[in-house]
Amino acid sequence: MSSALRFEWVRLRTLRSTYWLLGIGLLVTAGVAFIIAYATRNDPLDADIAAQVLTGGAEFATFIPVFMAIIGIFSTGHEYRHGTIQPTLTAIPQRSRLLLAKIIMVSLCSVVVVALSLAINLVIGLIFWGELPSFGNPLDEVIPGYFVLVILYAICGLALAQLFRGVPSAIVVLLVTPLLVEGLISGLSLVPALDWLQPALKFLPFSAGARLLATGPYEANGGPEFDYLDRWASGGVFAAFVAIILAVAWYLFKKRDA
Amino acid sequence: MITAQGLYKRYGAKVAVDHLSFEVRPGMVTGFLGPNGAGKSTTMRLMLDLDNGGGETLFDGRKFGTIKHPMREIGAVLESKAFHPTRTARNHLRMLAAGSGIPFSRADEVLEFVGLSEVKNKKPKSYSLGMAQRLGLAQALLGDPQTLILDEPANGLDPHGIHWLRDVLKSLAREGRTIFVSSHLLSEMSLMADQLVVIGRGTMIYNGDVAGFVRRFTQSTVRVQSPDVDRLVQVLNRDGVEIVGPGADRSIEVSGLDAPAIGELAFQNGIMLHELATQTASLETAFMTATGESEEYRAHEILGPPAAEMPAPVTPQAGPPAAPPVPPSQPGDSTPGGAA
Repeated sequence: MSSALRFEWVRLRTLRSTYWLLGIGLLVTAGVAFIIAYATRNDPLDADIAAQVLTGGAEFATFIPVFMAIIGIFSTGHEYRHGTIQPTLTAIPQRSRLLLAKIIMVSLCSVVVVALSLAINLVIGLIFWGELPSFGNPLDEVIPGYFVLVILYAICGLALAQLFRGVPSAIVVLLVTPLLVEGLISGLSLVPALDWLQPALKFLPFSAGARLLATGPYEANGGPEFDYLDRWASGGVFAAFVAIILAVAWYLFKKRDA
Repeated sequence: MITAQGLYKRYGAKVAVDHLSFEVRPGMVTGFLGPNGAGKSTTMRLMLDLDNGGGETLFDGRKFGTIKHPMREIGAVLESKAFHPTRTARNHLRMLAAGSGIPFSRADEVLEFVGLSEVKNKKPKSYSLGMAQRLGLAQALLGDPQTLILDEPANGLDPHGIHWLRDVLKSLAREGRTIFVSSHLLSEMSLMADQLVVIGRGTMIYNGDVAGFVRRFTQSTVRVQSPDVDRLVQVLNRDGVEIVGPGADRSIEVSGLDAPAIGELAFQNGIMLHELATQTASLETAFMTATGESEEYRAHEILGPPAAEMPAPVTPQAGPPAAPPVPPSQPGDSTPGGAA
């Protein structure tokens, strides 16, 4: 396993795309954190503001989750796009070991990036706050939730690219599902004749995953009534979605020709 | 030593590899020949567990998937450009080295060996096919393996590169390594390979040494030239003897009789001979004979004019020579379509 991890580590750090994806992710997130912190500089520091600054508005602008998902997509998709799956499997023929190494390395990378982003955004916040925010409830759940969300996004990307054995299809599914499919279903649930869709809304995976960053109960305010499960159960819905894709991709990786 | 037993692969109803069994012995280069679509690459993929199929391949008695660091024992390259276009050649090899417990310094050594030192830090997307093949060979040699499996490694190499590759593979074989190399370049195989595995449509056609392949799939012919060729044809015409010709130079190709027998018959019948030479078939001829019926993808002849417009073949016969064909009329001809 250690050889497979070393392989993945060198693979990850010898790709330019790793650096520019992480760099842009950190920069954009820091920019959003700066805008929020600057705009609310005269407001009392509460959990909402602190969470939005620390995560760079990840609840509504999922930059780091999406960029880490793309790194996940590249980790498996590039193998097929550039034909490197053959040399890779002649070096590490144990397919489960290889896939596990990819998952571990992408997850570790996610943890480091989220930690780095939180630290950068905290410094930006402190410029305006002049004091540390309270890391009690709900930040004590939002911050771990952010780590979990980004890891799940990264694994989701990795699994989608492994399933489709390529990069473009995985990126399309990753971007279209939360933006269009879930938006469409939740929008349709507002039509009185289709209100039977409402009980299913809490199981829309990407919407449920975003609840990992929630600082308070969901309020519909005239929008779709999601009636979400609690934070960790919603996170579980997203994790189950990712697990299903990963299981199918893993099974097919073992079964199909390289 | 590679032992392949009952390798089998099908895509839907089409059988790509049909129960192939062969051995690849150390200390020599074994060529893997077959026309396009014969199943060479699929066979190699089956051997390396890249494809799921039937049969098994043992490398010194072990399956590929059970070897802890296969790159240290088996160097394989199946595609010439299997690298990320922006990861440098050096990093590509370092990545594979990391996965096989090979020191990074080995990447520089093999790049130096294949002549890519000067471009090792450049993006390989700018590499020519020949450079990509050299990088592939560097990848195969990375773990200093005892066995090499190479799919068409000479493709894209210039004549100097082909010569170099041939020398490298023969030299590695002399060190006692097992070399299994596929090619459709028959001239290459005749110079490089000691043993041949020849397949067509996924089935075994021949497995043995190169000379044996030529012997088995070609018939030696004897070229005979005589001023009295028509009478010679009558003398030689008997069961088991095949005569082609006479051609424009009044020579014939005889198979089924050797040169001394033909000479003796000519002498006994008082026929003068101007030439009597045994023709040895080339590896290419043998290959065409062996795989002619098993070609997967065959191009059609370029369409010619309708048969009615074609001149009839000229068959030499006894008596006065046939009149030459009438040339078509040309602009400016005073006698349209007629003989001058």
